[in-house]
Formats: sequence, C-alpha cells, structure tokens
Amino acid sequence: MSPEPLPAMNPLKSIYNWWAGLAKAFRHEMHTITHDAGVLVFFVVLPLAYPIIYTIIYNPEVVENLPVAVVDNSRTAQSRELVRMTDATPELELYDYATDMGEARRWWSEQKVVGVLEIPADYAASIGRDEQAHVTFFCDMSLLLRYRAALSALTSVQLATGSQITQARIDALGADGLISASPVEVDTNFLGDTQQGFASFIMPGIVVLILQQSMVLGICLIAGTRSDRRRRGDYITDRDDYRAPASASVLGKALAYTFFYIPATLFILHYVPVIFRLPHQGDAIQWLLFSLPLLLASAMFGLTLSHMMREREDAFIYIVFTSVVFLFMSGLTWPMFAMPDALHALSRVVPATAGVEGFVHINSNSATLAEQSHNYLWLWFLAAAYFVGAVILQAILNRHARRALSRA
Amino acid sequence: MSAFTESLKLGVAQITSRKMYVYAMVLVPLLCTLFFVGLMHRGLPLRTPVGIVDLDLSPSSRKITRMLNSEEVLAIDYRYDSFEEAMASVRRGESFGFFLIPENFERDAVAGKEPSLSLFTNMSFFVPGTLSFKGFKTGAVLTTAGLAQTKLTAVGVPDDATMALLSPVSIDNNGIGNPWMNYNYYLTTSFMSALMQLMVMLVTIYSITQEIKWGTSVRWLATARGSILRAVVGKLLPQTVVFYITGLAMQGLLYGFFHFPLNCSAWTIAAAMLLLVIASQALAVFFVSVLPNGRLALSVAALVGILAFSIAAFSFPVASMYGSVGIFSYILPVRYYFLIYCNQGLNGLALYYSRFYFAALLAFPLLGWVLLPRLKRACLRPVYVP
Repeated sequence: MSPEPLPAMNPLKSIYNWWAGLAKAFRHEMHTITHDAGVLVFFVVLPLAYPIIYTIIYNPEVVENLPVAVVDNSRTAQSRELVRMTDATPELELYDYATDMGEARRWWSEQKVVGVLEIPADYAASIGRDEQAHVTFFCDMSLLLRYRAALSALTSVQLATGSQITQARIDALGADGLISASPVEVDTNFLGDTQQGFASFIMPGIVVLILQQSMVLGICLIAGTRSDRRRRGDYITDRDDYRAPASASVLGKALAYTFFYIPATLFILHYVPVIFRLPHQGDAIQWLLFSLPLLLASAMFGLTLSHMMREREDAFIYIVFTSVVFLFMSGLTWPMFAMPDALHALSRVVPATAGVEGFVHINSNSATLAEQSHNYLWLWFLAAAYFVGAVILQAILNRHARRALSRA
Repeated sequence: MSAFTESLKLGVAQITSRKMYVYAMVLVPLLCTLFFVGLMHRGLPLRTPVGIVDLDLSPSSRKITRMLNSEEVLAIDYRYDSFEEAMASVRRGESFGFFLIPENFERDAVAGKEPSLSLFTNMSFFVPGTLSFKGFKTGAVLTTAGLAQTKLTAVGVPDDATMALLSPVSIDNNGIGNPWMNYNYYLTTSFMSALMQLMVMLVTIYSITQEIKWGTSVRWLATARGSILRAVVGKLLPQTVVFYITGLAMQGLLYGFFHFPLNCSAWTIAAAMLLLVIASQALAVFFVSVLPNGRLALSVAALVGILAFSIAAFSFPVASMYGSVGIFSYILPVRYYFLIYCNQGLNGLALYYSRFYFAALLAFPLLGWVLLPRLKRACLRPVYVP
C-alpha cells in the first residue's frame, strides 16, 4: 500500500515542491528553536556561559608558589643560597626546613608540601673540591602540571647556580677571556600560546567543541521531543516534517541551525578570545570561512545522531558524556601522532576533531585556509556524508510516519 | 510481599525496560575505559614530529641534527631550507616545532663569537609543545657542553674534571609513585571516576523524573506505601548494584589487567568506588528534589558533571584556581574519590590521611535525604514541564 500520492509527474512541480519543502523546514525549525526553552538553553545559554565558566576556571593560567620542604643536611652558606634561589622562583616556595626526611615525609603525607628538596651533607664540600654536587628533589605526582612546574623551576635554579660556580672556576683556572661558560647562545621562541598559559592553550580548542556539542544536544532534544509525540500517538503536529522530501527537510533544518548559530559563533570564536586575552592571531576571513563547514558538519552530525533519541531527555544520556571523549579525540590534550591508528581513524569521523585542529592553527598560529585545507575540505566531506546519513534515516522515519498518518 | 520488595521490583523493572539503561550503566563506562587506556597506551607521547632548519651544513650542524633525532621525545621528520618554510609547516600542523642552526655556526663557535641556536615550539598544543621544547633544550645544552668541553680540553683541563666544571650542581627529580611520568595513570583514573559520577547522576535523575513525566509517580509512591524514602531507595538500589559492578569491572581493568599503580589494598579502592556511586546518587537526588523537572535537573547534573572534569582538578590544581572556584570542587563526590586514589593508590599513605575524604563521601546520603519531602510533593502532583 502506498500511503502517499505518487510523485508529481511534472519535473518542474517536483523541483518546486523540493524548494518549498526546504523553505518550510527552515521556517518551521526556526520556530521550534525559538519556542522551546530547552533548545534555547542549549543553543544560546550553553555557548554563552561555558566559555566564560571554563576561562574562569583556568584563567589563573599558571601554577605558582608550590610549597616545598627542605631537608638541609649541609647547613652551609652555599646550601642556604640554593634554597633562597629555589624560594625565589615563581613556581616554588619554601614551606619550612624539616629536621629530617621523616618530618618532610609527614608534611607531604598531610599535603602541606608538594615536594621535598634534600641537600646532602657534602654539598658545599663537593663544590669546594670542584666536584659535581648532587641534590635530590622528591615531587608529588598527583598532578602532572605541578611536576612540570617544579621541573622547570629546578632546571633554572640548577643552571643559574651552576653557571655562577662554573664562571668562578674558569676564572680560577686562568682561562678567563679564552673561553666562557656558554660558548653558544640559545634563543627560545614559543609559538601560538606564547605565555604558555593553561587557559590560552585549552580555550581555543574547547570553544570549537562547545559549538559542536551544544548544537548536537539541541538537535537531539528537538528530535527526542518529536519522538515523544509519536510515542503518544501524535503524528499530526509534525506532519509537514514527515511529508516533505527527506533531503529538503534535512537540509532546511541544518541551514536553520547554522543560521541560528551565527551570533554564537562570532561570540565564541571572536569575542571570547578578545575578552579574555587569549591567543587570537588569525585573519577574520580565514576563520569565518572555516566556521561554515564546521557548523554545517556539526548540524548534519547532530541530525544523524538525533535518530537514536526516543525521548526528549535522552540527549542527556546519549550525548553529554561524548564531550569528554571528543575532547580527547581532538588531539588537543593527547596528540594525534601518539594515538593508536584505529582511534586516530575513528576520531576523524567527529567534525570537532578537524574543527579544533584547523581553528587552533588558524587562531593561534595564524595559519591560512590554504594551509589548513586538509581540515577544511574534510569538514565539507563530513557535512556531505552526514547529510546522506541523515537523509536515509529521515526517509525511513518518514515512511513509518506517513503510514501512521494515513491510518489516522 | 513487603512494600520495599515491591518498590525494588519496580526499580528492576524500570532499568530492564529499555536498552538505554544498559548502554548508560554498563557500556558507556566500560567502553570509555577501554578508549582512554587504548588512547594513551604509550603513557607518554614520544617522538614528536619536528623539523630542522640547517643553514650551516657543517659537520657540527649535522652532528646536532643526529643528536636531536636520537632523543626519544623527538623525531626529526622534516628538513627545511628556510625559516619561512618551517613556519608554514608548523601552520599546516605537520610539525610541532623546529630547531634553527644559523649560517656559519661552526665557524663562529670555534672563533668564540657566541653564535645562537634558535628553537621554536608550537605551544598551541600543550603536550607536544612542551615535549619538543624539552627535547630541543636538552639538545642545545648538550651542544653547548660539547663545545665547551672541547675548549677546556684544549686549555689543559683533564677530561674527567670538565663535567664537574660545566655542571657543578645536578638536581635529580624523583616523581613519587609515578617515576615514569605516565599520563595514562592520571587521566584514565581521574576521568573514568568523573565519568562514573556523571553517568550515575544522569541515570538517577532520568529514572526518577520519568515517573513524573509519564504521570506514574503517584502509583510509584503508592507501591512504597507513601514513603518517599522507601520509593527512592527501592528504585535506586538496583542501579547502585549495576553501577557498582560496572565500577568494579572498570577498576579490575585498570589495576588488574592494565597494571596501573595501586599501592593500597584493593578493598580500599573498591570501597571508595561504592561510596562514589552512592554519593553521586545522593547528590542527584538532591538536585532532583530541588528541581523536580526532568530537563532542568538533568541540565544541572550535566553542567556539574561535565565541569567536574575540570573543577575536580585532574589537570589544573585546585590550589591555583580562584578561591571561589576551588571551593566548588568540594561539593563533588569525585573530588574525594580522586584524593583517596592519590593518597592510597598512588602514594601508598596510611588510611588515616584519607579519613576526611571517606567521611565526606559518607555525608552525601544525608544531603540526598534532606529535601525528600519536597520530591514527594512533586510526585503526588506530577506536572510535566517539557
């Protein structure tokens, strides 16, 4: 049995129907978005609030003044100088001298200190004898960022103390003028996140993920709501959606989401970096052009996933946790080249992966669209692929819904 | 049959009614565990793809290139002819940094003109940026030392004394409990517990607000003979059991199968998991009592649950956050679970040092209990607000 009238014989008429369906789907979806408080929370509140919340969390940017215990078995002017230099680094701060390792260990257990600097009894003597003096640092490893901060502080202490002593020894040798302690200068340049701040590194990537995820959540909420209506036997409310050609309705919806997201995209990709002084080097034309396939691919991705939703609230169960998985897939925290090949391939099916990689390079490293063309083209490909997926699923749903409508 | 048994039966019936519950309670936590362990199975990303701009093309510069390439954190995958070419390659995302050896480097070094080596790392990507920086810096220091050593030998300093002369103080860094600096140990452990908390909270709220949504909450309360406590416990206890089994499987995978460090009794960490599940359920019951509306309560739980990944501070320390943000981390069960793992599992301290964390987790059920009368009122007059 065929519940629908046969396709119009006139090709012009069917072309007209297709465009009419597209326009109708667009208008209808805009209406749905603006009249559903739940969708507005995802589409407006979430992209506005999350970047601000995240930046506030990470804005202190750097780890400073980690308390350190010192066990000084040398008790000499030289060892005290070493402690003073450690205390003077921005990263580390002297908590107190401990009488022995036992006491220092107790402080560490009570989380009063995050590290212990142990200076051996022969520290000053070794320096006096022109030997190498060994100092040991024990670092709490509960957080890698702390270890990294301590490591860089101690490296600079070691180099500074070392070069003082070295210069004195070279002078004593009488080789002064002939050689210096540093025959080569090293000039370090940090690209992108020049201040090495945590927020400056993580935010440009996270905002892209927020764009995709908030959109997918909203799309799934809309689909779940329609599914709720079908569960209640209501096929009438959304009958236009079921009767339109699947490709027209999918494209119309995706365009509506993309259009609705223009202000949020500008806010998130431009104003957030400006307000919080995050890296924002890229040329506006480049990232604006880049964001178009990003939004479209996210919309199509969401429309494909939305067919999993059986109830309005299902989006929370099915989608929310994926943000964490997608963050790791994006290569922002764990680099792509260190991923197993299978997971690397899997990560490419998520639009945000190419989106994060492309946007971060454009935004923080001022890459051009041409330099990021692999990600740009991949996003267009994903948009097309998920469009096909969403159309097939929509067509299956439409067949079922049209049958139910004709029965009613 | 007693009212409690009937409530329990309802709870079991609900979580077997849809495949979604199996997905949320078992598949998501376990598949994500495998995903994270698989993703970071190398522990530390080695062989960061970087490049070299060798403008000197001398024996010295070739030696530096070889030395850099032999470092485990670096892979010299690209050779560029100019600075511009190297920058473009970084912008394309091929390499994460490069090392520049200027023209006449060897000649100037020998002549004592102090030429400079330049290193560039892309800090837009934190981990590879940091690692390539470390590799380049080591390379530069070794180059400097090598050149200085040659000269010192030339002025007659004995070979064995040059090292003490060039690097008179050495500071050994020892990471307690994780000397390998394995990222997997932290990220997987902490993210998996935060994921557990998230899924527990979402399923708890979803299952309770389903009753209000479909108007079955009156019958649900009647089955428990009007006791909201009995109704809630009856509904949630089967979920506690399923989540706990999933949690144990997760811990079995991490500490048993993948040999993550666990310097405490398995009972301790297993007990902490049970407390994490119950505390997360209690926090969710608190949310749903305040907001007996499915979508709003789920939104709050999703917000809190996702922020927990950042705020419970698995990567960025609470002590370095703004005070008000840091305080917020203490209302999250997973924060206590994470601290227990660090104290017991990683650092192997006496249980005594974690006493407050266990106590805090035990206090969460009280939080869930206080507003139950409010939830009861909502269940007696169910209104579904979409």
